[in-house]
Parts: sequence; C-alpha cells; structure tokens
Amino acid sequence: MTAETRTSVAPTPQVLESYLRRLKPGQFDEALAPDGSLRPHWVGLIDWLERLGPQGFGDAVIENERLRTESGLAFDVSAVPERESLSPTDALPVMLDAAEWDLLRRAACQRARLIDAVLRDVHGPCETMLHEVLPSELIYANPEFAPHCARWEQPLERWIHLYEVDIARGADGRWMILADRVNAPLGDGWMIANRLAASQAFAEPFLDLGVRRLNQHYADLQQYIDEMAGPSGRVALLTGGEEDARYFSHAYFARYIGAALVEPRDITVRGGAAYVKTIDGLKTLDVLLRGVRDKHLDALFRPADALPGAPGLSIAARTGELTIANALGTAAMGYRALAPFAHNLCQFLLGEDLLVADGPCLWLGDPAAREQVLDEPEFWRLERITSGPARDLPALPEAVKDRDAFAARLRREGATLAAVATPPLSRVPVWRAGALVPKQWMLRLFGSQTPDGWNAAPGGVASVVEPGRAPPPLGFGKDIWVLPATETAEATPSPQPRRVSVAGEGRDARELLSRIADDIFWVARTAERVETTLRVMRCCVTRLLSGIGIDGQPHVLNAIVEIQATPTAELEGFARLRDGIARLAGGETEPLGMRPLLRALRHTGRNAQPYLSDDGWRCLDRVCTDRRWRLPPDTRQASGLLRLIDDSLIALSAFAGTAHENQTRNDVWRFLELGRRIERGIAITRIAEAMAGRSQAAEETLLRAWHSIGDSRTAYRTRYLTIATLPPTLDLLILDEENPRSLAFQLVQLEAALGALPNPSRYRRKEHRAAMRLLMSLRLAEIDQLAAAGEDGRRDALIGLMEEVRRDLLDIADTLARAFFAHTEQSTAILSMMSRRT
Amino acid sequence: MTVLCVEHVTTYRYQGEVNLSQHLLRLAPRAAPGQTVLSHRLVVDPKPDELMPLTDFFGNASTVATLQHPHSELSITARSRVRRTEPPDLILEASAPWERAAASAREPAGLAIAPFAHPGAYTRADAAIEDYARASFPPGTPVLAGARDLSSRIHADFAYAPGTTDASTRPVESFSKRRGVCQDFAHVMLAGLRALGLSARYVSGYLRTHPPEGRPALVGADASHAWVSVWDPGLGWVDFDPTNDLIPGTEHITLCWGRDFADVSPIAGIVIGSGEQGLSVGVTVTEEA
Repeated sequence: MTAETRTSVAPTPQVLESYLRRLKPGQFDEALAPDGSLRPHWVGLIDWLERLGPQGFGDAVIENERLRTESGLAFDVSAVPERESLSPTDALPVMLDAAEWDLLRRAACQRARLIDAVLRDVHGPCETMLHEVLPSELIYANPEFAPHCARWEQPLERWIHLYEVDIARGADGRWMILADRVNAPLGDGWMIANRLAASQAFAEPFLDLGVRRLNQHYADLQQYIDEMAGPSGRVALLTGGEEDARYFSHAYFARYIGAALVEPRDITVRGGAAYVKTIDGLKTLDVLLRGVRDKHLDALFRPADALPGAPGLSIAARTGELTIANALGTAAMGYRALAPFAHNLCQFLLGEDLLVADGPCLWLGDPAAREQVLDEPEFWRLERITSGPARDLPALPEAVKDRDAFAARLRREGATLAAVATPPLSRVPVWRAGALVPKQWMLRLFGSQTPDGWNAAPGGVASVVEPGRAPPPLGFGKDIWVLPATETAEATPSPQPRRVSVAGEGRDARELLSRIADDIFWVARTAERVETTLRVMRCCVTRLLSGIGIDGQPHVLNAIVEIQATPTAELEGFARLRDGIARLAGGETEPLGMRPLLRALRHTGRNAQPYLSDDGWRCLDRVCTDRRWRLPPDTRQASGLLRLIDDSLIALSAFAGTAHENQTRNDVWRFLELGRRIERGIAITRIAEAMAGRSQAAEETLLRAWHSIGDSRTAYRTRYLTIATLPPTLDLLILDEENPRSLAFQLVQLEAALGALPNPSRYRRKEHRAAMRLLMSLRLAEIDQLAAAGEDGRRDALIGLMEEVRRDLLDIADTLARAFFAHTEQSTAILSMMSRRT
Repeated sequence: MTVLCVEHVTTYRYQGEVNLSQHLLRLAPRAAPGQTVLSHRLVVDPKPDELMPLTDFFGNASTVATLQHPHSELSITARSRVRRTEPPDLILEASAPWERAAASAREPAGLAIAPFAHPGAYTRADAAIEDYARASFPPGTPVLAGARDLSSRIHADFAYAPGTTDASTRPVESFSKRRGVCQDFAHVMLAGLRALGLSARYVSGYLRTHPPEGRPALVGADASHAWVSVWDPGLGWVDFDPTNDLIPGTEHITLCWGRDFADVSPIAGIVIGSGEQGLSVGVTVTEEA
C-alpha cells in the first residue's frame, strides 16, 4: 500500500508532535501504530489537518459547530446548545478501515440477531432457561419483563428491528461491547445530523477519501419499513415529546425517513388495531417506530408507569395489526442483560461464536459474582442490569464497609443488578485547545433490519469516555468515517425515491393530528392575545410619554390599561397605572401579561412548528425568545419599553403575514385563522365595552385610544374627517366588513374558515351554523341603536350585543375543541383497590 | 361441597361526559384445585362497543371493554357461580424444608413457579421485612408450616385499617405502619416469602361473609379479597389468608392469580374526558341452597 511508504519517508506531521509526546507505550492508539508511524487509514485525514494548520482547522470546527446548531435550530432552539456543553467532544472524525468496519458491522448484526432470538425464546418456549443457558431469574426478577407481552397465541416473529450498540476498543487492541441499546433506540437522528455537519465542514477530506455514505443503508431501512407497512400503510415515529432528551433525534429522523412524528396521546387502540387521532377522524397505523421506553407505554397494563395515551398498545401488536419497532418487552434484554450470558447464548441459539465479547460485567444474581464484588469492590461499579446507572444504588467500594448489610441487599436485589468495569480503552486523537491529544473513546453503532437482513449504517457517533464512568448518553459527537474496501472510491448510490405514500407527514393537512391542530389553534389565539396586550401597552406608554391634556389623565390611561390588566382597586392614579403596565410587561401570574403569554406561545409554537412555514416560526420565535421580556420591567424607561413593544409587534405582524403569504390554504391555515379570528373578535368586544360601554366626558379620548389599539386611526381620519365620535367608530370597528380590525370582518372570516373544515355530513357543522347566526345578528344591528345611552349613561344595546358575540365565540371555540381536539383531553387512570376482611 | 354465587357490581359516575373508556376486567373466576366454575356472566352498561377476551401470562381470563360513545355512568356487573370443595387436610409439617422449596424455583424443572419467586415493585422487601419473615423460617422449617406461622403473625401484628393505604402502597410502607387492608397483608407476606427465595403468588377473589346472628345478609356488603398461595414441591400450591388467619376453603372464591396486585387488579382502566368520578362497588356472595 502506498500509504505505508508515504509515512515511512514523510517526517512526523507537525500536528502530531505534541500527540506523540503524550502517548503511553503498550496502549492501543487508533491513529498511530506501535512504532509511532501513522496508520494507513489515518494518513489522508492527518495530511489534510497538517495542510490546514491549527488556524484553518479551528475555522472548520467553528463551521461544524454552526452547522450542528443550525440542524438543532430547525427542531428545538434551546435544547441543542445545552446538550453540546454536556459532552464537550471535539469534531475531528475517527477513521476506520474497511476490515475493521467489517468486523464491527458483523458483530453488531450478530448481536442484534442474538438478542432477537433470546427475546423470542424468553417470551415463548423458554428453551434457554430449560437448558440452563440463561437463568430464569434474569427474566422473572427483571423489572422490565412484561408478562402482557409473553405467551401470545401468535408469537411475534421479530422483536427487534433497530439496534444500537456501544462499543469500545480495549487498550490491548480488542473490541468489546459496552451496552446494547434495544429498548427505544432511534438515535439515528443524531448520527445523520452529525454526519451532515461533518461532511460539510470537512468536505475536502470527506470527498477525497471517499468516505462511505449513510444513505444506502437508510434507503434499505426505508424499504424494509415500507414492506412491513404495506402499500398504503401508515408509519409513525413515537416520541415522548419535547421534554424527552432524545426529541431532537426523533424529530430529525422522522423527517429523514418520512414518518409522522407522534406522541402516545395521539394513538388510540380500537378493535385490536392502532389508530392516530387526526382532525379528520381516526387513521389506521401500521408501523410504529418506538422512541418511548417500554414501561411508559400501555396504561391498561402498566397503570402506574405509563404516559397518558396509547392504552392497549400491546393488544394491537398482539393481534398483529400493528408492528412496533422495537416490540414492547424488548427492554428486558436491554443494556447489559445479555452480557454475562452472551457467549453461551450465541452458541446455543445461533450455533456461532460471539464475534466481539462483552466488556467486564457480572450478573449479581449469581452468588459467586456477589462474593467477587464483595471481595474486590474497588474494581467494580453497580448498575441496573437493564437500564444502567441509578441514583438509588450504593457506590462501591464504600458500600462494602458494612459488609453484612450490603451482602444482604445484594442477595435480595442481585438478580436486577450488574457489576461492571471499564478497563483502559484505546486512544483516539481529540482536538483540544488547538492541538491533538490522545483520549479514551467509544462509539455508538446503528444497526437495523433491511430487506436483506441485518445491516449497520457505515458510520456512528464516537465520544470521549471518562475512565470508570458509564457510557455517556448519545448526542452530537465525533463522526465515524469508514473507508471503502478498495482504493477506488465507492460509487455514491443515488438516493432512492422518497416514499410518497407517507400519509402521516405533516404537510398533508388532511392527516393533521388532533393534538397538533389543538396547538395550532392556540398558537393563533395566544399570538392574538399577545398582540392586544402589546397594543394596549403601546397606547398607554405613548400617551405617558407625550400625552397632553385629557389624553394623559390617569383615569383615562387606567381605563385603557385595564382592558388587559387586572385592576388593582387599592391603588389610584399614576401608581395604579404604573402597576398595571408593570404587571403586563413583567408579571409572572398576570393572566394576559407578556411573560405567561410568551411562555404559552412558545410551548404551543414548538409543538406546531413543523406545520408552520419556516419564516412564520422564525418570527414567532423572535418574539418568544426576546430576552428583554425576561428582564425586570423598568416602567420609568418608557422609551426602551416602547421600542421593545414595537419590535415585538412588528415580528407578530410578520408572523400574521407569513400565515397569509407563506402558508398553504389547508387545515393548518384554517386552524390558525380560526384561532386568530375568535380571539380578535373577543378582544374587540372587550375593548368596545371598556371604551364605549357608557357615555362619559372622556369619551372622545377613549375612542381615539380604541382607534389606535385597532390600528385604524388613518382609516378613520381619511374616511370621516371628524373628531372621534361613536357612530362612525362603531361603523369602522364593529360593522365594517372590509376593515381587518373590525368585529364584522372577524366573523366573516370565521364563517368562511369554519365552512371549509372537514365535514363527514352534508349538513353544516354546528359551530358553522353558530357563526352564520352571529354574523347575521351583527349585520342586522343598527348603529344609532347601539350608540344610544340610557339615563345612567350605560349603552345597553351595545353591551348586550358585545356580550352575545363574546359568549357565542367562546361556544364556537368549545364546539371546535370537542369536535376536533376531543381526543386530546386528559385521561384518567382507574385502579380499584382490594379491601376485604371478615 | 358448597355452591357459591357472587355478584360484583362496580359503578362509575362521572362529573362530565366521558368520550372514551377502556377497561381491563379480571372478574372471571378460574378453575382451581377445589374450585369448579359453573357459570360466569359479564354485563357492561351502557353496552360496550367492543369486548375483547384475552388470556394472560398466568392463565387468567380477562376482558378489555371499550366504550367509545359519550357516557356519564358506567356499570360493570360480573355474576359467577362456583362449586367449592373442602381443601384436603394437609399436614403442613410434612411439606419440604423451606430451603429446598426455595431452591426448586431455580431449577429448570421449576420454570413454571419461577415467575413467582422474585420480588417486584409491589413485593420488594427491605431488611426489616426480611428479618420479620425469617423469624418464621428457622433452618429446616417445613415451608408450609413456616408460611402458616408468617400468616398468623401478620394477622396478629397488623391492624386492619381501611383508608390508611391505597392501591399503590408498597409493603415497606404498610409494614412499617403495621396496618393496611388485605392487599397490603398479602404484599407484605409475599415480600417476606420472596426475600427468602420462596415461590408465592397473589390470589384475588372473594370471601363469603356471615351476617350477625338473626340479621339478614346485606346485599353488596362484601368486597374483593386477596390472599397468598405458597409453593411446596410435594403438595403444590397451598393458599393462606393472612387477613383472616386461615387456610381458604369453601367460603373463598378464587378469581385470578399473579405476582402481585398489579397483575390481577379486578378493574384497571382509562377514561378520557371526565373530571372527578364517583365510584361504588358492591359485592354479594351467597350460598346456593
């Protein structure tokens, strides 16, 4: 090989000088052979690094960071940077040559087949236990063992379809398995996003070296999933939602393979089949990629641990109507449960030798293993054998101080525990502070079924391992670059045509999930509330700054601010005004204050984000994340507050604009429209009552305030050329069907949007009829009658109409919720108690 | 020989309308030594949209009842008739030494009883429970004699106090309080037995009660009951009722068995769309003339 000769003549690359000094003899190094020469498959990468120099590589690393953050931004703004700081792994890829990769790939596939076979056996015939290859305690004392998934009349053919594994190389050069990740893997999103960033930031070596691509593997996986789902099948990826640390990967991967992203409460099981709840009714689900752990699913059988939603999920799998990948019950063989028995099980079930052995791991159900831990506690750490490190476990070796008590505890709980040790591992070059340093490392591999059996994606995510610690959780990390088998770069396979029949993918609004529709509706409603609060504050603050005469009177300003703020009866005058503004701008509990509203807006906005236009989301996010709203409000700094209000209002207007200009006129758009119209209509009725509910001396200034809150000053001036009086104001802001800020306009739009919603019947929907009735009563209203005041100054007709409109709008919102979001209601678990004694 | 009839009526009254309810019902008595099931009928009102029978891992018959139309009240009635025969006169002292009984669950031949030999969330012992149980099992004690003793001690040491525990109470808690209901007594006994490695299962069922002298039996005054069954390699499963300090016979009706309450709770379910709910349970056990 030419690389060999090249290294022998070339001087040591400069970038490796400090690295060489830190090497410890006798410990395997990924990049350097024992004689200090560069291993052939690292030559290309190190040459490139040498040419680039620390400065150039530093720039490439920054670019890589930027690309990672960007891919994170597309899903979740806050979570990614935080996780970055958790695992400060550098971005320099790890090189693997073809032979090495082939061993790892075959080892991962063998192990996946083995775990699948073990799961099939322990949930069915139990041959492994009858022949004492596997102790029955490992299964029956296992908290993850799910009896409701065992001994089915039609045994499952496949228990796992996706497999992830943590692998490391010992300092002696031999590979070892550190953990099987079979419960709810789906970390592929991290790997793909990681690869995307690395392949762009380090494009030159990536292309020159002909690094093997991931897309063929995922095209194969997609084909496998399609075959399981059938020609018109529906595929979804189940996530725990944005609170789940793996949400990024779930969202990213769902989009990558074209599966709908769903949460447990989106799923219901009826008649032995699983359905997703959409605004157009229930839709059958055929394949569910499971990103939620076993024990959090199926409240019928796990009432104590399950998340709300998806009760009876195991029944849909039991009838064969739904394929869950990986099946419920797989957790029993997760993490390290296989390790102590892998060797014998592999012989017994597959008739093969284990290709890669496990890292040191003792099962403490075995009395001899317990003795060993008691005798040499400094070598071991305790973990739950199926789930890893746990806080309630005592730390070794301190726990052994009270040997008898500890021995008794191990005897009681041992069957669920593992003693593990991580021996010294091999080193890999890591970029720290402008230089390469050797660090112990491990990698995560991603395997899956394909139409041709098990395979693994040629790549992975590597991370630095702290000696004596459990493998870190998955996130961004060092990309794994696998070199092709021959010098000729592998032809890049052209991506397969994307699945077009994926009905779940968000862009098809007919398949809009009820939960998402609910969120979209509330995004619009909350955005509208924010806008009203901003407009009311702006009106007050502007008048505070420049208000002269009646405009700046505290009782006038208080009337305006209390359209949104809860009145404080104990305060008077400007003190009351400042208090009102302060609570709207910075109160944590003020119902229509900016802080609670922005929190709610961001929460629903994030759920709805995949369905909003990209620009729309960006506008919304800008308002929600504006740090100035989190600072303590300083009402004396009125001009600063005014600037902030203006910035937010412009961003919100832009959001409203994108809804109209960038959003397809589908059900997503309709629910945005419905939310906005209902909420703005309600706001108008409240403003009308507050500003014009009674005839009073200050009426003119209050009406002008209404014009400005309703952004209709210009329209009023040009149309009426008079000072503000009530009849023209009512004409412009209540009855004018052309003014987007009038009540009538809201009802016209509302009626149109309601008429276009999915409707199985040929009759109009109830809420649609209510909107038509409401619009009609507004159209029949007479201005003079509305403007008339009684002897006490109260305008009964106007107030009556406003109350009617408000009540009906809230009714319509309720009916909508029942018709389209009803599935999303809270569920309650019922568990009866036994209590009997004579 | 006795023929017992049981009527178990559970009624939920919801504050609002419930749009969907799904319940897992384990209300059918199973055939067992000393018990023949003569008839069983399950009535759910309003009529469910779907009733799906399932046999579980432990061989119990269960039913999933789904109602997917709005309802504000739900009643579930199970009527069963069983024939009970007196248990054979067992010489508990003739059972195997407990150490051998414990070892048998770890042998391949003991695979059928192995699921019942290990603690789970509801049957986890701490050192206190283990020590308490161990006092009934000096080395070489016949397993059933030890079990009988443990059952009697729980009966003597614990206060029967409804309302002091709930469906999710763990034995560590009820043990330290020394109080609870039949479910807690069974869990404490199971936790103790399993800490010693013995196989023991949780049995759900009913118990016939006798009205005070001269008064008529009250309809619905009974309730669900629970007790424990312990494995002996020679004699098989033998029941003990720690709540009443007796060996179940012609007045007990066995419904289901499992590892703990969660495996056999008579009604577990999910309702969607209601706030508060009111629950009333009535169980009537009568002897057929």
